[in-house]
Amino acid sequence: MRRRLAWALTALWLVSGRAYGDESEEARLRARLKPEVATSVIEVVRSAAAQGLPTAPLVARALEGASRQAEDAAILDAVRRYSAGLAAARRALGPTARASELDASAGALMAGVPEDSLASLRRARPSGSLVIPLVVLSDFVARGVPVASASNTVLAATRAGAADPALLRMRERIHERILRGEEPSGASREGLRELLMKTPGTPKERGNRDPHEKGRP
Amino acid sequence: MNPDDRWDHEVRDAYHRPIEGEAQARERAIARLRREARARRSRMGAWWVDPDVLRVRPLVFAASLLAVLVIGAWAGARWMASRGAPAPPRSIATLTGESTAVTFVFRAPGATRVSLVGDFNGWDPNATPLARATTGDVWTTRVSLEHGLHAYAFVIDGRDWAPDPSAPLAPVTTFGRRNSLLVVGEDQAL
Repeated sequence: MRRRLAWALTALWLVSGRAYGDESEEARLRARLKPEVATSVIEVVRSAAAQGLPTAPLVARALEGASRQAEDAAILDAVRRYSAGLAAARRALGPTARASELDASAGALMAGVPEDSLASLRRARPSGSLVIPLVVLSDFVARGVPVASASNTVLAATRAGAADPALLRMRERIHERILRGEEPSGASREGLRELLMKTPGTPKERGNRDPHEKGRP
Repeated sequence: MNPDDRWDHEVRDAYHRPIEGEAQARERAIARLRREARARRSRMGAWWVDPDVLRVRPLVFAASLLAVLVIGAWAGARWMASRGAPAPPRSIATLTGESTAVTFVFRAPGATRVSLVGDFNGWDPNATPLARATTGDVWTTRVSLEHGLHAYAFVIDGRDWAPDPSAPLAPVTTFGRRNSLLVVGEDQAL
């Protein structure tokens, strides 16, 4: 009897908390956006919640647009596109993907990274978090590395078993190379080569191969 | 001993015979040389401090100065290049259980006000102002963040938005400018 009561109270607490969270998000949107824009954004947010997608990134995009004094249509368009990106990320990463992974994936997909590249990343790291690899991939694309090269670089490093700190160090080294004037694609290739040479368990000769060659990795 | 031998002997004796006063003359000469050497050293010391000792043509002086500056700049540039580009100030994360205390650091020369905006504060430019460091143009603030992925940017003087130069960039420019990305709680990585 006590156990049932505890379960009921826990469920009630969770439901009320979720409802409070939704209401809080909607209240923030109504406070910062024009009424008609807020209504449209809230519709997108509710639709995403019904699909089991994270809603916080959508609210954040809308609030960012309001702070940047973006056009109403631009705010609504950004929220809709991000919601579509989250849905595509769910398709690519599977139903067990975490909210932060979906958030990072949505940005990568919007930048042109193909869904199958994300699925390959998932297969390369089936149980660990993909947030850092996705952030590194996004950073490469943002700094001018072609999408295919950026995807191959991160995928090769992940398949080689590179841990998150190693991926972040590779990102910094490639960033420094680009700042020194190297061509982004070549910089990413050299950064990957250095990482593979230092990754434990990776054959040294593997670091000398060009992972950007057709069919690799 | 024939006359020739005698003559030769006398000449040799005369040659070896000590000259009267020679030793004193040698000592006087050495003492004089020492005095003059001391005087010369004294004049060379005065050369460094005497204001009218060094005379140089202005054109030669300017050319020499320019050469020194050029060589110095070249050597300095090579030294800096060997050390790599100067690192921008970095934001630092300190993990404390479920949330993470993150110190954001931003360099904004000439700014009078800098604030932090991001997913974590509703992108409100008034929510999280940065404080100017005691010296220089570095601004900092410390924020407690939940684990996960956060997008953020800095707002300078209430109008200019800028990403964090030390952080990964977001891949898309949603509203015209890129944001920075911050990951907390993922294998203790920033």
